[in-house]
Amino acid sequence: MATSNCTRWRIGVDIGGTFTDLVLVEDTGIHHVIKVPSVPATPVDGVVRAVEEAAAKLRIDVGEMLARCELFMHGSTVATNTLLEHAGARVGMLCTEGFRDSLEIRRGIRADAWAHREPYPEVLAPRRLRQPVRGRIDRDGNEIEPLDVDDIKRAADCFRAEGVEAVAVCLFNSFVNPEHERAAVNVLKQAWGGRWISASSDIAPIMGEYERASTVVLNTYVAPRTVGYVRDLAQRLGDLGLAAPLLLIQNNGGAVSAESVSRRPASLLLSGPAAGVGALNLYKRLSGSDNLMSMEIGGTSCDAMLMSGGEVAHTDMLDLDDYHLALPSIDLHTIGAGGGTIAGVDSAGMLFVGPRGAGAHPGPACYGKGGVEPTVTDAQLVLGRLEPNAYSGGSLVLDRELAARAVDERLARPLGIGVEEAAQGVIRLMEQALLHAMQRISVERGFDPRRFVLVACGGAGPLHGAPVARMLGCRKLYVPRMAGTFCALGMLHSNVRHDLVSVCFGDLASIDRDHVRTLFHGMRAEAEQRLLAEGFSAEDQSYVFACDLRYRGQQWDVRVPLEGPELDDGSVRGAFEREHERLFGHIQPNGTLEITKLRVGAIGRVREAALETAARATSAEAPVAEMRRAWIDAERGWREVPVYHGERLEAGHRFEGPALVRELTTTLFVGNGDKAEVDEAGNYVIEVHP
Amino acid sequence: MNKQDDTRSSLLERLDPVTLALVQNRLDHVARQMGWVMTRTARSPIFNHAHDFSCFITNAEGVLLSQADGIPIHTGGGGFTIRAVIDAFRGRIEQGDVFLSNDPYAAGGNHLPDWVIARPVFVQGQLVAFTCNRAHQSDIGGGAAGTYNPLATEIFHEGIRLPPLKIADADGVRDDVWSLLLLNTRCPEELDGDVRAMMGSTQIGAEHVAELVAGLGLDSAMDYFDGLLDHGERRMRQAIAALPDGEYRGVDGFDNDCFDPVDVEVQVKVVVDGDRLVIDFTGTSGQIRGFKNSSLANTHSAVYAAVSSFFDADIPRNEGTFRPLQIIAPRGSLVNPDPPAPVTMCTVFPAYEIIHACWWALGSAAPERACAGWGKNSFPNSSGRRDEGGTWVMYHWGGLSGAGAVSGRDGFNQLGPLVTLGGLTIPNAEVYEQLYPVRVLRQEFRCDGGGIGEYRGGTGVEYVVQTRAPAEYSFRAEGVTRPTGLGVNGGGAGARGTLRVEPVEGEAVTPPVYGLLRFEPATLTVRSPGGGGFGNPLERDPARVLRDVQDGVVSRGAALESYGVVIGDDGSLDEPATVALRDRRRPA
Repeated sequence: MATSNCTRWRIGVDIGGTFTDLVLVEDTGIHHVIKVPSVPATPVDGVVRAVEEAAAKLRIDVGEMLARCELFMHGSTVATNTLLEHAGARVGMLCTEGFRDSLEIRRGIRADAWAHREPYPEVLAPRRLRQPVRGRIDRDGNEIEPLDVDDIKRAADCFRAEGVEAVAVCLFNSFVNPEHERAAVNVLKQAWGGRWISASSDIAPIMGEYERASTVVLNTYVAPRTVGYVRDLAQRLGDLGLAAPLLLIQNNGGAVSAESVSRRPASLLLSGPAAGVGALNLYKRLSGSDNLMSMEIGGTSCDAMLMSGGEVAHTDMLDLDDYHLALPSIDLHTIGAGGGTIAGVDSAGMLFVGPRGAGAHPGPACYGKGGVEPTVTDAQLVLGRLEPNAYSGGSLVLDRELAARAVDERLARPLGIGVEEAAQGVIRLMEQALLHAMQRISVERGFDPRRFVLVACGGAGPLHGAPVARMLGCRKLYVPRMAGTFCALGMLHSNVRHDLVSVCFGDLASIDRDHVRTLFHGMRAEAEQRLLAEGFSAEDQSYVFACDLRYRGQQWDVRVPLEGPELDDGSVRGAFEREHERLFGHIQPNGTLEITKLRVGAIGRVREAALETAARATSAEAPVAEMRRAWIDAERGWREVPVYHGERLEAGHRFEGPALVRELTTTLFVGNGDKAEVDEAGNYVIEVHP
Repeated sequence: MNKQDDTRSSLLERLDPVTLALVQNRLDHVARQMGWVMTRTARSPIFNHAHDFSCFITNAEGVLLSQADGIPIHTGGGGFTIRAVIDAFRGRIEQGDVFLSNDPYAAGGNHLPDWVIARPVFVQGQLVAFTCNRAHQSDIGGGAAGTYNPLATEIFHEGIRLPPLKIADADGVRDDVWSLLLLNTRCPEELDGDVRAMMGSTQIGAEHVAELVAGLGLDSAMDYFDGLLDHGERRMRQAIAALPDGEYRGVDGFDNDCFDPVDVEVQVKVVVDGDRLVIDFTGTSGQIRGFKNSSLANTHSAVYAAVSSFFDADIPRNEGTFRPLQIIAPRGSLVNPDPPAPVTMCTVFPAYEIIHACWWALGSAAPERACAGWGKNSFPNSSGRRDEGGTWVMYHWGGLSGAGAVSGRDGFNQLGPLVTLGGLTIPNAEVYEQLYPVRVLRQEFRCDGGGIGEYRGGTGVEYVVQTRAPAEYSFRAEGVTRPTGLGVNGGGAGARGTLRVEPVEGEAVTPPVYGLLRFEPATLTVRSPGGGGFGNPLERDPARVLRDVQDGVVSRGAALESYGVVIGDDGSLDEPATVALRDRRRPA
């Protein structure tokens, strides 16, 4: 491959459960995609292997390739896997006496009350390692009982004796006054001597002892393994010749330096899917719309995300397998609906799809690896939408016979219907579940889905994009050609971002403006430090300010963006009322407004990556590679449809559905009457037939 | 199988199974959407915080089709209310109408604080469904602020009674009726906002249901609605048929009528007859003076919660699943009182006793599925006047009890209450300190509070709170006079609760089980009752017993005495001694 000696590039690496994806973008905009199997036991090796393959593909040596890399972005599942595999640290905890069980009571939150026979997942800090400390701060932040240093020393003895590896500190009311927590951390550092200590007021200074405890415990639980991994990787890549800093994608969709993430490793718990924010930033530029909803469907699940006015919705609360994390994060809704999702018939003859999945092993029945239960992928194959022989660039052969047998035995016969009919049922139920997920992130939050462009991505997303867009009432569907490497690509379009939060209580009308300004400036100064350390000069930094408000008596806050680091009464109230009206359908014209939190988002702007410009087609007519029989929809049934091969489509090519497009990492289904066009970037823009 | 069953199964066979599944999922989704709208638009914290409401959809005859959103004790009674509306307004139900009701005697209600909005849905001029919302109001007048009046002896003491009312028609809300409602609450602003939110949620639901019906075609849609009920019925019949035929009995009760000590029992005989269940409350005590009588709708809901939670969670929850159940509730008894008996407490007590009694009976039919008892609520709520005017009402959820064990899991140490199966989220103490004049000092597991067993009962907690202002406390400490979280299959009962109030000035008081008491600033201590254990404690994994001892939730003494587990002086498990001790304890 011809690359000039002075070409520079960016590299994004995303580790998934099955594959590690690497995307390399040259400064001319040319993309290269590498997919290698992940190495779950030693993920660093998986990254290095992907890097080596990329170098081989570019025909240069690894050292030179890394030396010419100006930005190395990484999304890692190491924190997530540490949690899901229960392979984290032995965590001790310092709690205010009387509240050592907040963590284990979990506020009694049950995902499904009727499933009462299900136990909670294991508590991450067992009770005997949750050590009580006397001392009390009251609700206004006054000390009413001094911190008992001897209690902390006793706790330290216990932690040493028990071989505790990391300690979480969560004291009552520390969100109004963190002094006791800070003092406790200092005493503990001396008395215990271990490496990992984090304080709840430092990680998540929010009201609510359970959420703070859960967050700081998660942080310490994943810390040793996650931070160890990040440092190893930085070291290995450095040794191999990487000069640029290693950046990691955080839960908030922004990147952060390896050094800076070490204090807050829990902010990597959503590192993989959060990179989708970067991808939406890119598609915002390409599609010309800043109202986007993405539906990323892989083998086991669908991640749904919404961007309104160019901003991705954020939340302060993540539920990770029933563990709660109160860190600023993108608002991602995940459902168990992917290509490998299993369909079945209940004992009384009702068809269902999910939430169980076949995973990578045995996988769908058509993989021929011993799976006998029919999956969504099997149904697509039966319906002629997937090609049996060349999937994932020929690395996987799908067996239509096995798929048809699974659908027949497990679905069609019990239901007393035909195989094709049963397969159609699976797809319709799957797409109904996707529709409900997309409505959840839009309608529930007061957004009208009809005003959004649907972005269908992930390996399985583009097969479902058109029907789901039609049901949602979206007029436009956008399908990236590299749909299967959505996250790795997204990283290359992410900025560095730090989100800081300060608790600040008072009536909006009477709160001390100087105090507010001081808090804002304090946060800004801290953020500036971090950005400078990460190499962002003043002109590449930008700041956004916001505050959380509510009517007196309400328990939930509404986040309101501010013009600058201060409160301007008139505009703040107006902005709050607009947001309240959208979310809750009413306002209280005379309601007293209370302020609860101040927020600073600090952004280190990464220079926008160059965009690849696809070759321009000479004629608008797209070349049909073959015709294939496939099922279109309930109304039209089976048709002979044209199949296009992605590598032969160029910018400007147009075609009308029904049609199928075979791409390297995905298959695109274009429905009846839908009009597709390849855009300048080589992606598919589909005008959805209503 | 009788003739009617024949017709039904042929309907299910005739319908397209894919469409049937799509309709089920759609209705469940619409019910959940109604819940989102309610959570987002209601004013009172009880809705957006504690989720004390349920959204449901019935067919045109008032038969429950979906209740995907909502709490267990609300599931099962919805149809009663809607059928009362249909009876009252037969032939006069028009597009644009909205109905409101609450009365247990005149309107199929469960208790007065739960108001139900029912909105008829029309397609092509034909009534096809009702979209409904049942929600607990913050105040509805009556003898005590906050809807619970422990001194009530007649329903007239419990708040305003609403027969089925037409609250709105095509011309809009009826202002005269609306004013009457607002005049009968201590919290008119909340009530106004909350009832409007209820109406808004049923409006959204009605639009979606109409869309669904129109899409399917009117006749076809009605067939699919029937098909869903048939499917639910079939699932339930299969579950029942797996139980051995026979008569099984269960009894649970309380020892007071809210005023005087008296033994009150819920007796149930469950007859398993093929794929049918008869649940017969004959023998249950007569109705009582205090407000723990169960309206018929609530009795049905409690039975339904018991049966449904006993079986697998994936059985749909619609009224088709009730068809194989016949409930016999004698008139004038605790579980079907005559007016004007007061009933407000019934969604907790005797719902607890009804669920427990049904669980005991079902558990003797299928011991491997048996559920141990949950400790009964023993905490008060308190209320007072705000400095700036108005009333504050605080539920002391921090004093909730321990749950019972089942095979495969210990009881939750604090969850509840039973009637929600844990559907209620416990507030953070830090949040309560910001909202109310209180300082919470403790909320920690009890030692030896949980019933012993192969699976241990939940421990309950010690909850200590200082109220720093004068307040009125409404007590209903059902779990303090005797153990209430009973064990099953050889498991032991959870510890009983204790209750104590220490005024800042003056003598400590042990409050009555029921009553309204006023204190100047005072410290309340609730040790909440534990849940029951499941199975023989000598079968409990010794490593789990050791962990409980290290965690301080089981004492060393109890480990030795109750579990036969010997822990050495160094704190480690003495396995040989444990094996030997357990062998000696087991009957030869």
